[in-house]
Amino acid sequence: MTRQQEKKVTVRDKEKNFVSAVIYIYNDEERIRDFLEKINAVLSANFESYQIICVNDASDDNSLAVIREIGKSISGTVINVVNMSFYQGVELAMNAGIDLSIGDFVFEFDNMVMDYEAELMMYVYDRSLTGFDIVNAAPKKCGRKTSRLFYAVFNRYSRSPHPLRTENFRVLSRRAINRVHSMSKTIPYRKAVYANCGLKIDTIEYDNDRSCTKGYDKETRYQRKEMASDSLILFTNVAYKMTLLAAVFMMVATFGIGIYTLVSYVTEDVVSGYTSMMLVIVFGFFGVFVILAVIIKYLSMLMELVFSKQKYTIESVETISE
Amino acid sequence: MTKNKSKWDKIIIGAGLYGLYAAKLCGERGERVLVLEWEKSPFQRATYINQARVHMGYHYPRSYATAIKSAHYFNRFIKDYDFCIHSAFDQVYATSDSFSWTNREQFVQFCQAAEIPCDELMPDKYFKKGLCDGAYLTKEYTYDAGILGQFFVDALVGMKNVEINYGVRLQQIDKGPDSYVLTLESGAVLETGFLLNATYGSTNQILSLAGYEPFKIKYELCEIILCQPQDKLREVGITVMDGPFFSVMPFGKTGYHSLTSVTFTPHVSSFDSLPKFNCQAKSWGYCSPEQLGNCNDCVAKPQSAWPYMSNMAKKYLKAEYGFSYEGSLYSMKPILKASEVDDSRPTVVRKVSEKPTFVSVLSGKINTVYDLDEVLKND
Ligand SMILES: Cc1cc2nc3c(=O)[nH]c(=O)nc-3n(C[C@H](O)[C@H](O)[C@H](O)COP(=O)(O)OP(=O)(O)OC[C@H]3O[C@@H](n4cnc5c(N)ncnc54)[C@H](O)[C@@H]3O)c2cc1C
Repeated sequence: MTRQQEKKVTVRDKEKNFVSAVIYIYNDEERIRDFLEKINAVLSANFESYQIICVNDASDDNSLAVIREIGKSISGTVINVVNMSFYQGVELAMNAGIDLSIGDFVFEFDNMVMDYEAELMMYVYDRSLTGFDIVNAAPKKCGRKTSRLFYAVFNRYSRSPHPLRTENFRVLSRRAINRVHSMSKTIPYRKAVYANCGLKIDTIEYDNDRSCTKGYDKETRYQRKEMASDSLILFTNVAYKMTLLAAVFMMVATFGIGIYTLVSYVTEDVVSGYTSMMLVIVFGFFGVFVILAVIIKYLSMLMELVFSKQKYTIESVETISE
Repeated sequence: MTKNKSKWDKIIIGAGLYGLYAAKLCGERGERVLVLEWEKSPFQRATYINQARVHMGYHYPRSYATAIKSAHYFNRFIKDYDFCIHSAFDQVYATSDSFSWTNREQFVQFCQAAEIPCDELMPDKYFKKGLCDGAYLTKEYTYDAGILGQFFVDALVGMKNVEINYGVRLQQIDKGPDSYVLTLESGAVLETGFLLNATYGSTNQILSLAGYEPFKIKYELCEIILCQPQDKLREVGITVMDGPFFSVMPFGKTGYHSLTSVTFTPHVSSFDSLPKFNCQAKSWGYCSPEQLGNCNDCVAKPQSAWPYMSNMAKKYLKAEYGFSYEGSLYSMKPILKASEVDDSRPTVVRKVSEKPTFVSVLSGKINTVYDLDEVLKND
């Protein structure tokens, strides 16, 4: 920690609450040092005891070595590392980090892009003390069009009381973590589960510095797309509604054709055998669509069960000290 | 016998449980035994400063061999030393829902296979919802090092053929044709045909003094927290397994509970053959890679990890199983590098020389002290 960084931090009585900061790390070797030093400065100035958990999502650059080095320069056993066995994406990895954390309050950093002043952390924390179990810090301007589209669709079709948006980090109370864990065994998309946990939530907006945004690599982009479609399917009824609607529409259409066949049998002169053949076909298709509608319903229920089995795999946990 | 050169059937370095057990065993057979101890009294290090758990095997769900052996030793130990055993409490093991290497089914299966008692309990009785997937009432006790130490001292005082020297500073160990010659800083010279190195954390230091190959170990400076249990916890011991978790259980018959955690009990580690730590430089010469001081009495001992350990316990335990801080104890733990993966803690007895005989014991647990019988016998 440099002098300057230390000075920036305003002095106040140290908090008695134990806080954990859980940070997602995936091929971030250039950002880690600066980021860890900044948040360590804020935490050590404001809290009597805290821990920083770095979740290393099987980075294949030097991230781990950099964390270890910084860990050695910070006194005490502040820094812990969870090494994921293989790349599992931000959601599962962060779940692992949160499960390991022991803080009364937990900061979640999904990325190390610091487009805000580090002091914002304390502002967010203070807000949670006023009675919010979850407080998000969200940038005013969100860059990515795809993200905006995703949230628009998501919010339209999910029954969540809190609309989702791009957020940079958040603080959770232990109560919120316990609540969320007792609601569902695994958490494929944290934001959606948090929004539905029934506790008080608040969001603080800040003017973001857009020069800091970070590009995603191919793997991450793919992962994000998968995540987006998974969570749309899982947490909204968009897909379910659409398929069911289609099945019902087809049902109605075949029914219409059946009526038309009967009517034309009476009013028009039709080739013999046409009517009976049409009726068989109509009956058959109608049956197929009814069965499809039932299957779709079944699938949507099965999917929930299957999803709740998926959990992360960790390789090791280390505590770093001098 | 001249004052400056004395001859003994056996010389034992270290007055922990292993050293004094050996002294008593040999003393009872009428052998002339001398115990050399660095401290001013016995049982000042690992034998006193540890979790005081008489292991039954629950701790090793990934090593059947260790578990089965532990169960056997357990029964013998609590019979031989029943006066120092505290058993009137519920020892509860639990498997953590996340991060555990062993889950509920595996733990139950393991206990059955190892034939150790294990009754399933409702985790909700002790733990916050969703944090442990299983809880089990087990049979495991704790021993009181103070009482055990007094027993050995009393027994040895009565033996004219056994002597214990305290405050000893060993300077040199030389191997002669049929004996070892030990020179102390005081100038005293001692001779024996059988030397037992029972110094635990210092075992490699003694080996290196004698010029023998060291054990392949790493060292951890550990903190045991003593706490005052609140009512509901008083008659309960809790251990959350199998990974980075914690344990809070009675500390012998002292009325205190010990609090430890896998992540926060070890403060600093050394991977060198002789224990090298940064804090040694701040110890004013009290401790060095050549001779460890007693971490518990050291000015450079680390700051307590109480905030970490207590918060971890708080995360899991229901509020009524509370406790408060009393104090901290520190000691050095040598860990065989070979035992890290399956977490077994074997006791290794190594004879590095025969006639004259040099034996080093590196103990893994209190109740495996009987492993010494074999090597002490045929002499
Ligand atoms: C943190 C921790 C927790 C543990 N928990 C448990 C547990 O719950 N259950 C269990 O069964 N086991 C446990 N163990 C292991 C157990 O404590 C040891 O296996 C056992 O106490 C070792 O006994 P000892 O007699 O070999 O060593 P010690 O009791 O350490 O005795 C060694 C003696 O040698 C002396 N000595 C050192 N150097 C010299 C020298 N140069 N000259 C003369 N004397 C010297 C020391 O002063 C000391 O008195 C734990 C260990 C640690 C460190």
